[in-house]
Amino acid sequence: MTESWFGQRRRRQLQRFLQKGKLTILCLFLTIIVLRGNLGAGKFGTPETDIEEIRETFSFYRKRVEPRRVLEEAETIKNDDASASGNNYATFDINKMFVDEEGDDIKPDPNKPYSLGPKISDWDEQRADWLKRNPNFSNFLGPNKPRVLLVTGSAPKPCENPVGDHYLLKSIKNKIDYCRLHGIELFYNMALLDAEMAGFWAKLPLIRKLLLSHPEVEFLWWMDSDAMFTDMAYEVPWERYKDRNFVMHGWNEMVYDEKNWIGLNTGSFLLRNCQWSLDILDAWAPMGPKGKVRDEAGKVLTSALKGRPVFEADDQSAMVYLLVTEKDKWAEKVYLENHYYLHGYWGILVDKYEEMMENYHPGLGDHRWPLVTHFVGCKPCGKFGDYPVERCLKQMDRAFNFGDNQILQMYGFTHKSLASRRVKRTRNETSNPLEVKDDLGLLHPAFKAVKFSNFFPLVGDITFQSGLAAECAFACQCAFMLDMDSD
Amino acid sequence: MGQESFTAQKRGGGAAATLPTTTPNGGRPARSASSLLPRGRQIHKTFNNIKITILCGFVTILVLRGTIGLGNLVSSESDAVNQHLIEETNRLLDEIRSDKDPDDPDNPSEPEYNPNVTYTLGPKITNWDQERKSWLDRNPDFPNYVNGKARILLVTGSPPNPCDNAIGDHYLLKAIKNKIDYCRLHGIEIVYNMAHLDKELAGYWAKLPLIRRLMLSHPEVEWIWWMDSDALFTDMVFEVPLKKYDGYNMVIHGYPDLLFDQKSWIAVNTGSFLFRNCQWSLDLLDVWAPMGPKGPVRDEAGRVLTANLKGRPAFEADDQSALIYLFISQRNVWMDKVFVENAYFLHGYWAGLVDRYEEMIEKYHPGLGDERWPFVTHFVGCKPCGSYGDYPVEKCLRSMERAFNFADNQVLKLYGFRHRGLVSPKIKRIRNETVTPLEFVDQLDIRHSAQGSSGSQS
Repeated sequence: MTESWFGQRRRRQLQRFLQKGKLTILCLFLTIIVLRGNLGAGKFGTPETDIEEIRETFSFYRKRVEPRRVLEEAETIKNDDASASGNNYATFDINKMFVDEEGDDIKPDPNKPYSLGPKISDWDEQRADWLKRNPNFSNFLGPNKPRVLLVTGSAPKPCENPVGDHYLLKSIKNKIDYCRLHGIELFYNMALLDAEMAGFWAKLPLIRKLLLSHPEVEFLWWMDSDAMFTDMAYEVPWERYKDRNFVMHGWNEMVYDEKNWIGLNTGSFLLRNCQWSLDILDAWAPMGPKGKVRDEAGKVLTSALKGRPVFEADDQSAMVYLLVTEKDKWAEKVYLENHYYLHGYWGILVDKYEEMMENYHPGLGDHRWPLVTHFVGCKPCGKFGDYPVERCLKQMDRAFNFGDNQILQMYGFTHKSLASRRVKRTRNETSNPLEVKDDLGLLHPAFKAVKFSNFFPLVGDITFQSGLAAECAFACQCAFMLDMDSD
Repeated sequence: MGQESFTAQKRGGGAAATLPTTTPNGGRPARSASSLLPRGRQIHKTFNNIKITILCGFVTILVLRGTIGLGNLVSSESDAVNQHLIEETNRLLDEIRSDKDPDDPDNPSEPEYNPNVTYTLGPKITNWDQERKSWLDRNPDFPNYVNGKARILLVTGSPPNPCDNAIGDHYLLKAIKNKIDYCRLHGIEIVYNMAHLDKELAGYWAKLPLIRRLMLSHPEVEWIWWMDSDALFTDMVFEVPLKKYDGYNMVIHGYPDLLFDQKSWIAVNTGSFLFRNCQWSLDLLDVWAPMGPKGPVRDEAGRVLTANLKGRPAFEADDQSALIYLFISQRNVWMDKVFVENAYFLHGYWAGLVDRYEEMIEKYHPGLGDERWPFVTHFVGCKPCGSYGDYPVEKCLRSMERAFNFADNQVLKLYGFRHRGLVSPKIKRIRNETVTPLEFVDQLDIRHSAQGSSGSQS
């Protein structure tokens, strides 16, 4: 009797266990389904894709903290159904075409401090000597008109953003127009001279190389690829800088007193071709080499400068830091210009173009009609920018048209509106084209007149020219003391 | 199943409970026993039932969600945001790339072109040479000869819309950099046009109103040099020998026998040519333009051209065929002032040149301009700005990259660098930095050699 009773009890226990078991299994099943639904592995999909999606969602949450735009994805979706025809440009992956035939340069010794090149200490003398021997390549084109080389550039590979190259093209056209009107030479760089100084630091080795290779250039004007000229009539006041070697847009108080990291802007600046400039480039470069040096320097800069977020060292912050810490050495020859927009932050300018067109006129260069509108943070060539894509691109179109209108008005045209690519006539064709003057006088402006010729001096004036050139080379000498005993 | 187990349990429970009391009078007591079955137990049963029902219902809903795709109800917000961004970006890209313009609906009032009226580029000008000369006399600050060299204006351009694909814009950018480099070295100014000055003459005809406009606005320019956006300079040292063309007003690359004997539609190439700024050029432009206006005029003209020129396929009239037709049919009027040049590659058809760059580097040197070291490599037919070209994409792009790097090497030489192979965007150093950079400047700067070779002043 005990045995059967025991068996029954056993059976009972078993049954109870089974019932509980069913409940447990049901609940487990429920939990899995809820997890699936919530973590986004929701639509059909095998368990493998579920795991993929879970992994991706976690990484997406991480990405979401950074700025948002994912244009690369957008483009992949667009091209999904392209045909495999060999004549179709849309399906071609250009990165497969690039081949580096020769090996990498020798890796620099990590223990040696970085340097842009062997130290040159007599550049002013070398240059003055060269200018005397080459009177045809004078450094001044006129009494107050130095020979200027505008330098800009972009990466040699296509942009990640599908319309990025188009905006680079418009930007260079804009610069070509300004430089043609003002007799400035243009250099578009697409080469990375030093792999260690990649990114925003790439301009340093380039600028040094250009200064040394072009002794006839008096001022080098660096301009970012995302900066556009919006005042075609404004000529930089060169005589204001006759005793200065480095002109940037900025405010003295913000740099020297506040130590603000945006107290000046290195997206558009003028640098004289002289020993002082080589020295400041050498002093500027050490924070640049990528890797540990740049990261460490970034930390130093963030703690020293006001308002700077945490990221690797950039050339602008490094310049602020340099000026603040070595003020006695450099500040005397640095001019922080804010009377006109040598660099104009786009955010405060682009909405006012219509108002400017109504109330003012080109040739002012300042807040009424900015010389340069600089699209900081837009990064049209990359995938991610700091601002919404739509605002950036639309405003770049407007700024481009705003500048282009001043060029087109020379020929009797204008854009139909600041947002439109189409142009309309403002002046009918006439049978006396030379009677017509353009409103801004840009067709034959005074600053382009050939007094000493744009590139080579007129024959009869050679001796006068060389005398003037020699005088300028010494009067504008960039050493700390003015060297008067030469010639 | 649940019910069964409960009934089993009940039975079991019941059995256990009633075991000791199994008596003959089990019916009523049994029934009462079952209804009397512990209240608690019944409630317990009900609870269990309800629990299981709810759980099952929940499971069903979730499974339905998962399979029928009602998942968006509670799907992660991040997914939705991402999807929205992608859609917004696609819309923006489409808008930027389309030909649609924000001002289109506002201007229906522009007069429709009347095909019965002969098209003109502008009011007829007959005294341009005198006008220009007197202007030059009145404006000595803007001479047409600078240090003995005639002032040249290089004109090129591309449509205002982004290309159909990103690669096209990238090569437009590289091409303009290439032209900037050549023009900086040779003192030539550039006009890059991105506006359709005349909507009738769109496409390849757009250069005509542009050239005319620039000639009339810039009397100080002696020569206007039109160059297509798909043509690259590959000889950075060579200069156009303008002295050779003193008695001519137009310089164009081509072959006289192809032109006059064979009447071939590719006898000359209008992708790179020079026009002197004078009355003759204005007249030629006026006579050239009528085949251009788009629509029935251009189509009809296309048929005429195909019928008269050898090898021309059937399509609308293009500027090159029209010019050839003009040269052939009005030979006496124009040809004495047109120099059909083939001693150097003012236009060099790419297919026969790009594969030989390595050979050229080995055997020759820049400055020759001809088949040994071509002056211009012109990528006719590649059309990287469109979607489809006449040649395989890989070949076109690879060749354009090679031509670009071939030319860029000549520019970088002054700075001590060179590309790592003709298809590599990266560069390598070929000369160490030095403390006396100026000796290399004297040696290598192309401008010094260019000035030396151009000889006498005017």
